[in-house]
Amino acid sequence: MIPATLRLTLIIAVICYFIMILYFLKQKALNLKYTLLWLVAGVVMGILIVVPELLVKIIRIFGIQDNMNGLFIFGIGFIIMILLSLTSIASRQNRKIRTLTQELAILDKRVRELEKTDSK
Amino acid sequence: MGQEPRVLVIIPAYNEAENIVHVVNHMMEVAPQYDYLVINDGSTDDTPNLCRRENFHYLDLSINMGIGGAVQAGYIYARKYDYDIAVQVDGDGQHDIAYLDKLLEPIDSGEADVVIGSRFLEKEGFQSSVTRRMGINILSALIWLVTGRRIMDVTSGYRAVNKMFIKIYSEDYPMDYPEPEAIVAAIMHLGRVKEVPVRMRAREGGISSITFKKSIYYMIKVTLAILICRMGYGVRRGKREDLQKPRGKEQGK
Repeated sequence: MIPATLRLTLIIAVICYFIMILYFLKQKALNLKYTLLWLVAGVVMGILIVVPELLVKIIRIFGIQDNMNGLFIFGIGFIIMILLSLTSIASRQNRKIRTLTQELAILDKRVRELEKTDSK
Repeated sequence: MGQEPRVLVIIPAYNEAENIVHVVNHMMEVAPQYDYLVINDGSTDDTPNLCRRENFHYLDLSINMGIGGAVQAGYIYARKYDYDIAVQVDGDGQHDIAYLDKLLEPIDSGEADVVIGSRFLEKEGFQSSVTRRMGINILSALIWLVTGRRIMDVTSGYRAVNKMFIKIYSEDYPMDYPEPEAIVAAIMHLGRVKEVPVRMRAREGGISSITFKKSIYYMIKVTLAILICRMGYGVRRGKREDLQKPRGKEQGK
């Protein structure tokens, strides 16, 4: 069972976490689309702090004996998933930049040609 | 088709200030009937200034995107301006423009969709180093393994494609070392790929984009790329979408 003070610390930490996300959202430093994942993560953390027995149950289902180990495994797994999604976002943006550059170059040529005929 | 097909010669150039003027002038001399388009791939040397001064037709990519991105820009251009055939020629003078008509001929006659200029068919001209040929043979064998087609010069960037593949390549073209992957894509799109013998020269100036140090990375990257590219098409092969010209049943693949 988690001691009361630790539980209080964790709750404050999660609240800070939510405030930070909301602050970033307000500043438009985060897209709501990508923030949903982080919000869901926060909700999950909150639930686990309030009902820690749930975590123990889930961990047992997966056959992990040690509670802390289970927590770390889930935490790392979650982070890897987020990293993977970030890489895929970066690749997609890469593709979009490429298309933009190509289209820009074609427009640039068109402008040059139009300027040439204009000055004649 | 009736009238003469419109041909666009795509000349990607990254830091080719030493070669580009010569290559383009030679091209205009030997094959003035074809349009050409130099693609300056964000060069840091004098390439864009030379293009402007010489009044070449050129695209100026503001970011260096690598050969794949540059060539794809050419295909997008060709598609936009409705060219019938697009030919890729390296901007470093390795590819002999004199062979252009040989590349175009099988497409003109409707015999092939993609024509690759191969330096290994008649083993003439510059043959590349022994180690590099070995690498090319390995990739060639790999492509044969995954597609069932034997292409000798899989790294050749001297290539002509018809309208169908202008569209395909403008939509999706491999990036870093694109040639072998582009061949797999061509075969998997049920393109009729043909190799014709050409003579290549050793580079006229500048340095090759693939240094010896990079060749290990190159082999790993390209091997993976070919496998992934092949996987992307699955077991089922697509249907040809070009129904403009009625044609007999596909023979083989």
